[in-house]
Amino acid sequence: MAKKGWDEFEIGAMLRTFDGKIDNIAATQQEDRAYSQSSSYTASVADWRLIKPVFNKDYCIDCQFCWIYCPDVSIISRDKKLIGVDMDHCKGCGICVEVCPTNPKSLLMFSEQADEESVIANWPKKDEEEA
Amino acid sequence: MSEMKNIKNLKEFSTSADRFEGANLLCPGCAHSIIVREVLNATNDDLVLSASTGCLEVCTAVYPYTSWDASWIHIGFENGSTAVAGAETMYKALKKKGRLKQPERTPKFVSFAGDGASYDIGFQWISGCMERGHNIMHVVLDNEVYANTGGQRSSSTPIGSSATTSPEGKKSYGEKINKKDMMTIMAAHGIPYAAQVSPNKWKDMVKKIQHGFAVEGPVFINAVSPCTTEWKFDPKDTMHIADLATDSLVFPLYEIINGQELNITYRPKNVVPVEEYLAAQGRFKHLFKDEYKYLIKEWQERVDSNWAYLQRREEARV
Repeated sequence: MAKKGWDEFEIGAMLRTFDGKIDNIAATQQEDRAYSQSSSYTASVADWRLIKPVFNKDYCIDCQFCWIYCPDVSIISRDKKLIGVDMDHCKGCGICVEVCPTNPKSLLMFSEQADEESVIANWPKKDEEEA
Repeated sequence: MSEMKNIKNLKEFSTSADRFEGANLLCPGCAHSIIVREVLNATNDDLVLSASTGCLEVCTAVYPYTSWDASWIHIGFENGSTAVAGAETMYKALKKKGRLKQPERTPKFVSFAGDGASYDIGFQWISGCMERGHNIMHVVLDNEVYANTGGQRSSSTPIGSSATTSPEGKKSYGEKINKKDMMTIMAAHGIPYAAQVSPNKWKDMVKKIQHGFAVEGPVFINAVSPCTTEWKFDPKDTMHIADLATDSLVFPLYEIINGQELNITYRPKNVVPVEEYLAAQGRFKHLFKDEYKYLIKEWQERVDSNWAYLQRREEARV
């Protein structure tokens, strides 16, 4: 999209989310959609994040609580299985970790710089007191 | 196409393809988008949406981006409901004349608005929509404050809450006027369905939304939306606050059918004291000072009497 000055906008504006025609959006998953440059899907809010969620699939029971309670559509779930976290759109609020029912939790928050492989290798053990 | 989406459990629900996108500018931990996702995913039909001015509108349609994958319009602060009602009237007229290109598709008409745009500014317009009987759904994202403009009080702000236009201090405990009972007002229009929902009870919510889509006529939905910025709690606690709101009965979940039949849809097993709900939020922090402690007792009494009233109404089927 060509850049415009702040005073060059039209009074009303119409944005098209998709390039071309999509017949049934409700049956098309995000990866199969042809998003246009106007969709915020093509943007990123990753720089908002100070801490990031890391997903450890070993403990996940696919309850999908994190999927339903994610405010940013960042928990990717396909065919009833949790696949991972969409790091372009995650704002690091931590709701997914709070609602995770497993012990130990299968999602935990780490600092943005943390190395994913090493934190999964050192994942906390089961908390007996809470169990 | 128009048959109801079958959602038995959360795993089945999670196969839905979202029609709301991330990278919107809502605060981390905002409940608005959770409510919007639960509403939009409750149906597979096409959607005609609007949003009145408020957090949801300014954050999801920041030029040159939009976060909506369906027809969506924003006009003004007050007229989100009437914009959708107009679209619905046009749809009906074209259908009658046989001019729809795909008459087998039955779009759903939903207008989203905050409590400011529903309880105060858009009140008359919503009332008009309900009175005229458009086949629309109006969803209120009730965060009990004008969060978009910096936390001014609205007529949804509850007693004792500290807002920027009703701040707490030496002489005041914050907001002094009780919350407007919007549910009763809307149900008094005789609309086919009015319901109060909360994002943490997703199944209750989806059931109510699907019922709302299925009935012919205007539907009013009031959804509690914990606001991390103005209610002053940690972003990760959004669902915890919503749990407290429903379990302390500050925000009871019920529905009113045809303005006459009240059903309570969620009875908490362990009712949490209102004090816990208040203590979890920064906007009520001052109530725990010695001179304002009597307000907590008043809060509890008010919530109890309201709950007793709802139960009496349910029992008497009125």
